[in-house]
Amino acid sequence: MTMKPKRIPALQGGKSIKPGGIYWMRYVIPAMLFYVVFMAYPMLDSIRLSLYEGTAGAREFVGLANYTRLFTDEVVSKRFWNAFGNNWIFFAYHMLLQNALGILFAAILTNKTMKGRQFYQTLIFIPCTVAVLVTGYLFKIMMNPQWSKAPLESVGLGFLVHSPQGWLGDHGTALSAVSLVSVWQWVGIPTMMFVAAFQSIDDDLIEAASIEGANPWQQFTRIRIPLIIPVIGMVAILTFVANFNAFDVIFAMETPEGAPDYATDLIGTLFYRYGVAGQHPVGIPEPGLGSAISTTIFAMLLCGVIPVLVKTQGKE
Amino acid sequence: MKKLLAIVLALMMLALPTLVLADGELTLGSWRTEDGEAVGALLAKYEELTGVKIVYQPTVSTQYNATLRQQLDGGIGPDLFYSRTYSGGAELCENGFNVICDEIPGVKENFTATALEGFTDKDGHIFAVPFAAVSHFVYYNKTIFADNGIEVPATFEDFLAACEKLKAAGITPLANGIAGNWDILECVLCSMVPNYITAEERVAYETGEKKLNDEVWLRIFEDFAKLVPYLPETYASIDEEQADMMFTLGQAAMVIDGSWSYSAVSDGVDAGFFSFPAPEGYAAGFSLHPDFGIAGNAASAHPEEVKAFLTWLASPEGAKIAAEVIPAGFLPLINADVAPEGSIISEMNAAAEGKNADRRFVWNMLALYDTYVSELNAIVRGEQTPAGAVDVINAAWEAELAK
Repeated sequence: MTMKPKRIPALQGGKSIKPGGIYWMRYVIPAMLFYVVFMAYPMLDSIRLSLYEGTAGAREFVGLANYTRLFTDEVVSKRFWNAFGNNWIFFAYHMLLQNALGILFAAILTNKTMKGRQFYQTLIFIPCTVAVLVTGYLFKIMMNPQWSKAPLESVGLGFLVHSPQGWLGDHGTALSAVSLVSVWQWVGIPTMMFVAAFQSIDDDLIEAASIEGANPWQQFTRIRIPLIIPVIGMVAILTFVANFNAFDVIFAMETPEGAPDYATDLIGTLFYRYGVAGQHPVGIPEPGLGSAISTTIFAMLLCGVIPVLVKTQGKE
Repeated sequence: MKKLLAIVLALMMLALPTLVLADGELTLGSWRTEDGEAVGALLAKYEELTGVKIVYQPTVSTQYNATLRQQLDGGIGPDLFYSRTYSGGAELCENGFNVICDEIPGVKENFTATALEGFTDKDGHIFAVPFAAVSHFVYYNKTIFADNGIEVPATFEDFLAACEKLKAAGITPLANGIAGNWDILECVLCSMVPNYITAEERVAYETGEKKLNDEVWLRIFEDFAKLVPYLPETYASIDEEQADMMFTLGQAAMVIDGSWSYSAVSDGVDAGFFSFPAPEGYAAGFSLHPDFGIAGNAASAHPEEVKAFLTWLASPEGAKIAAEVIPAGFLPLINADVAPEGSIISEMNAAAEGKNADRRFVWNMLALYDTYVSELNAIVRGEQTPAGAVDVINAAWEAELAK
């Protein structure tokens, strides 16, 4: 008795599995639904909200008035461009310092002669696991000469005190100080990504290169770096997006007003003040203006991310 | 954005309990999460007296306005809620969310005009029962004062002399700084202003009848500048919390802070307080700023109970019980002697006796808030002169009035 094999459409070329068909759709649907409900819809709704004034209930359509205000109102536009400029400085620290350190650490950690790799890797990653509010507060206290001057001087590190105003109280140094704390905290993330990228490079390539007479520096710049360009691009995008959404480190170290005198105000804190909490002391938030800020930044991020994506991820 | 979403979801979860309340229970919304126990005692007392159960439902202060607004819009607002003063509170009433309190017995009779002013909207309706006010004081370390032979100063000149003496002895006289971006204005400058300007004069400045760079304001700013040498060297890194910390650690002899900070600054220190002294030749003033009231939800399912509770709060009997339980530093606004004998509240009330009480001057000129803070910061940093600062402020106000 021969059993006629049961026809399983999905395996036997039922029309849904044709190459180019849309059978894959059903696998995407759960993620898609989640994305639409929790990401796309709120984002689009925030664009809609930017055309309205007032809080829920008393909402009034005002067209582009919020955008006009954002770019022409003396106070609001001054704050916006100030925060925008600060954000670029904040970003530059992360892009140039944090990511360069990440590559450096990763190169050292993946070196064949490296001993105790796990230990150092853990050490570098630990700060990432601590809440920003905690590290921010600790650094705020450490950088405050009122509390740190005596202990630092007693161990001969008095030069770290800067001035009686402290690193965080001085207009000129506050933003750099906050940026460096953030770099210190997050350097583990790019390090991990670069470690993974370096490890995925085939040893044969390096071996072949060294047989051909390439010195370690040439191996690094001509082989290892070019091979991890897609990862560098991804890290650059993540850094870019994360920095334009940064908020917590400023909140913890310099108040949501970006003290001193808005020297550390970022788009995130600006958005929080206008859109979520309302300006002290009235505390009536303006979701419309807040949405206008976030929509503007969204558009700017898009303009920044797309070229980088095309440039670094296109080859795949 | 993701973080924001998470916050919103969390708030929605917090709002859920309103849906599962037992029938006949009322809710009281508030931004003072730290007062659960105190207000709970007040509400328990009320239940004992009337049999009406009210549940306290606080939200974190910074999210309160937005959350309350969403609840009211969605028809799940609390039956009673803490109301902000001035524009923040009036805004809700103008949108029809509040029980109008004009007709609540006792409201018009038992409170002063100054108290009611903070709770009156543009149309002249009273939108909440005035509940508590805050003031500002100079807190001083009694031990340090005694060790250096310093008396509580009666005038601004004595105050400066005391500061000088402390500084000469190597003690930081004042703990205040500018890192918080608000306390230098609200606690320091606003506690000085009533010594120079009465409530009537303040109105003249608000309307533009008097100039904000006249000789009175110049004097206020010059006197403010005289305090600068007595601030800590590290002023740029000190906010309100750290100023209180310095004071309680004995690193400074005085701190100018709000009445609400009494428990924070007296933690482990023998702290006394006095209201900021007036210069010689000036009538002493007192900063008394209406801070919050209690409003009724116009859409409540229990309108009678809501009105009854508001009536009770507006009566001396209710206010007396409230005064016994609310935290030290919140001064009752009712025109009756309700403060418990020997309490901090009655001590603070005594400091106000015989003085021209007025609220923080900047509250009807909020467009100037930022300008004031940045000019004061600049004076402290030595980047601005008092004369320059008042000119900038006056110009900003004239531009605002011209709008």
